[in-house]
Amino acid sequence: MALSSPRPLAAGPVLPDYVTRKPSGFYRSLNPATKLAVAVLEVVAAFTIPGWSGPGLVLAVLVVVAAASRTLRSLIVIGFAALPLVASILVVNLFLLPGASDPIARIGPLAPTWSGLWFGLMTAARLLAFSSAVALAYLTTPVDDLLADFSRRGLGRRGVFVVGAAVQMVPRTIERAGEIMDAQRARGMDTEGRIWRRVRGLVPLAAPMVFGALSEVEERAMALESRGFTAPGRQTLLRVPPDRLIDRVLRWLAAAGVVAIAALRITGKVG
Amino acid sequence: MGLLRRWVARQFTTRVIVLMPVAIAINIVLGYTVQSGLKLPIYVDSIGTILVGVLGGPLPGMFTGALSNLIWQYAPGIGSGSQIGPFAITAAVIGLLAGVWGQLGLFRPRRGHALNIVAAVVAVVLIGAMALYTYGRAFSSPDQFANATFKSASAFDQSRFFFLVVMAVFVVLVGWALVLRRDIGAVFAISAGLFTGIVAAVVSAPIYAFFYGGLSGSGTDAIVAAFRSGGDSLYQATLKQGLLSDPIDKMITTFVVFFLVGSLSRRFVARFPNGEKLVGPEAEPEAVPPADPPAEPEPKAASDAG
Amino acid sequence: MAIELASARYRYAGSASAALGPIDLRVEEGRVVGVAGANESGKSTLCLVAAGLAPGVIGGKRDGSVRIDGADAAALKPHELAQRCGILFQHAATQLSHSTATVFEEVAFGPCNLGLRIPEVVERVWAALRAAGVEALAARDPGRLSGGQAQLVALASVLAMRPKYLILDEPTSELDPAGTTLVADALTRVAAETGAGILLIEHKTDVLARIADEVIVLERGAVALSGPAAAVLADPRLSDLGVEPPAAVRLERAVRAAAIEWSAALAEAVR
Repeated sequence: MALSSPRPLAAGPVLPDYVTRKPSGFYRSLNPATKLAVAVLEVVAAFTIPGWSGPGLVLAVLVVVAAASRTLRSLIVIGFAALPLVASILVVNLFLLPGASDPIARIGPLAPTWSGLWFGLMTAARLLAFSSAVALAYLTTPVDDLLADFSRRGLGRRGVFVVGAAVQMVPRTIERAGEIMDAQRARGMDTEGRIWRRVRGLVPLAAPMVFGALSEVEERAMALESRGFTAPGRQTLLRVPPDRLIDRVLRWLAAAGVVAIAALRITGKVG
Repeated sequence: MGLLRRWVARQFTTRVIVLMPVAIAINIVLGYTVQSGLKLPIYVDSIGTILVGVLGGPLPGMFTGALSNLIWQYAPGIGSGSQIGPFAITAAVIGLLAGVWGQLGLFRPRRGHALNIVAAVVAVVLIGAMALYTYGRAFSSPDQFANATFKSASAFDQSRFFFLVVMAVFVVLVGWALVLRRDIGAVFAISAGLFTGIVAAVVSAPIYAFFYGGLSGSGTDAIVAAFRSGGDSLYQATLKQGLLSDPIDKMITTFVVFFLVGSLSRRFVARFPNGEKLVGPEAEPEAVPPADPPAEPEPKAASDAG
Repeated sequence: MAIELASARYRYAGSASAALGPIDLRVEEGRVVGVAGANESGKSTLCLVAAGLAPGVIGGKRDGSVRIDGADAAALKPHELAQRCGILFQHAATQLSHSTATVFEEVAFGPCNLGLRIPEVVERVWAALRAAGVEALAARDPGRLSGGQAQLVALASVLAMRPKYLILDEPTSELDPAGTTLVADALTRVAAETGAGILLIEHKTDVLARIADEVIVLERGAVALSGPAAAVLADPRLSDLGVEPPAAVRLERAVRAAAIEWSAALAEAVR
């Protein structure tokens, strides 16, 4: 992304690079809808193919694609964030699968079971596959690109605005929440005490955030109106992610894959 | 068809459109903060959804809820990418219901007239009956919720216990509201919250069970584990956990939203799509300052709106 | 051609008494009209009424007439108003859409909403950035700007709509002296280069002294003083109306009161 902004020369007004933001790399430069279709295929495969070979295979594919598009490290970081849940799933199912009668060992009152382990692994693998598929889509398709593609396909300016602004608002709201909590702590709000006090501490946190949001509504609405937000007709699209033949082919393949897996599952050929 | 379009368009005014992203961000940030910072066994990730639903209507509420979850999953600006995307369905239902409550005028401040009190009592009885029924079914009958052994006597006791816990919270919240505001409207609002919570639990249970094996990586897993150890199936265990957490969470959230909306000035609220239904005729006439500067919601609670 | 208010009065929705009026005012192309007054004297209301946002967007009741280039403001839709009359408020943060990734796209938001073709959008964006003096910020993230920069970007966003008139409600109130100077300079440049008529609400009378051609002072919603800027700002009744005179005027009075001679050279030095 260029840091300076060269004035357009005599060749006529063109959009600067930092606006068009073309992604590099094969997978990243695919159309956003294609990458979403691939993610859908991956999720369907993970949940429809039984056992943990299905999700395992999907995870393997994800790792390969992530490596190819240079997003593997980020993917792993996101995967780690799911660790508490994965651990929880494994532990609870290992020890507490109802009706399981094939213990691995007996440790006092606890009896981990094989079927518990199997079920736990399957569920955890499915979950990881699901969240990784979504994460891969996100890492290779920033929200801007997604919205640009949806705009081209007909999403109105209000939808684009709501999603785009929401994504940008989150960091600002985090800062605001931090400020509010600091201020409230300075006034004695309990963040550690007994449950009842913590519930009461909720209102001094939520109320300023909500009031702050509401107080800006009127002015924001006027500002948007002043920039033609409610003008009739289609808005101009500055960024239009290309939709090439390879994209269409891949989407068809993905759709065919979903149908095939579903058909196999329904007809009982698989699981 | 034209009527439908107009009904849709009426709910998506520029003010609502502007409120939605902020509400979504609040959902995400509060939900995360409460889980990690305040460490409470509730979610509080639907304040924004219910607020938009109450002020704007069912459709904006629905979209706010769904988008909050989808955005939190897809573009996690905060914390771990929560695996919360599939709950977009539940969140959409919550927002839809909030819009309905707003349109039915359940969030309107109401004075203690005889008619209102009778209506409030009726509402409580209805809600109580509904809750009792739901808890009874959930905790006694397996044929609706997948197969597993169940122990009939203890299961029924469980249901009574849970029901009592939830109703206790209900009574506490309503009592607190009545003490703080002497506003019978709180009873309606909190009852609506209880209803929403029950529906949310019922809608969420299959999602939980299917996607996550019933667990969420948080403190509530201990509850689910306890039920599993008692022999419950996946669906049953998650439903029971949900029926404890969701109603309490939604009642608290609705309580907060009710108070916040009640603290806004009439003029401000009136400009929202549901505005007419939220400013009761019983509200006192506005005090008139000499020259109103625009854009301030003038909260009666003296909190700094920044 | 001008914005003309004739016997205009305005009452907010739900309010019993008029916040503004009756007011006669004329803002001509190429002229800068400054408005001063104590808090709650109706300055912000005047902005909204002159821009047609009241009652158009926020409701309420307006009597008398407000005409923009001869057209009744109440008859124009918000996006039509936006192209005639740009409005800028105090809080820069609420005027940025927060749904764009670069300042360029933020300023392009308005023209894109109008459905203009890309070459024209690009031209308008650069022209607006240049007029506001923020070309160098075109590639930056709008969420990471300082207060002064954000306000200038907001100004550029409004200018991109090519309005004939600009209405500004205390644009420098949240800015430090450096930011205030930037905005004041930008406004002078805009008035000179684009010939826009400017209605500027400011309690910083130094700014008015620098750039306004004429000044009116409001009191309780009506005009208490009006005339050429220099005359009004030196008027002894200013303080009674809750407006602090510019530094130069105060200095001159203090010097004269101390029986020191006040010369033209001193006046120049203070300017």
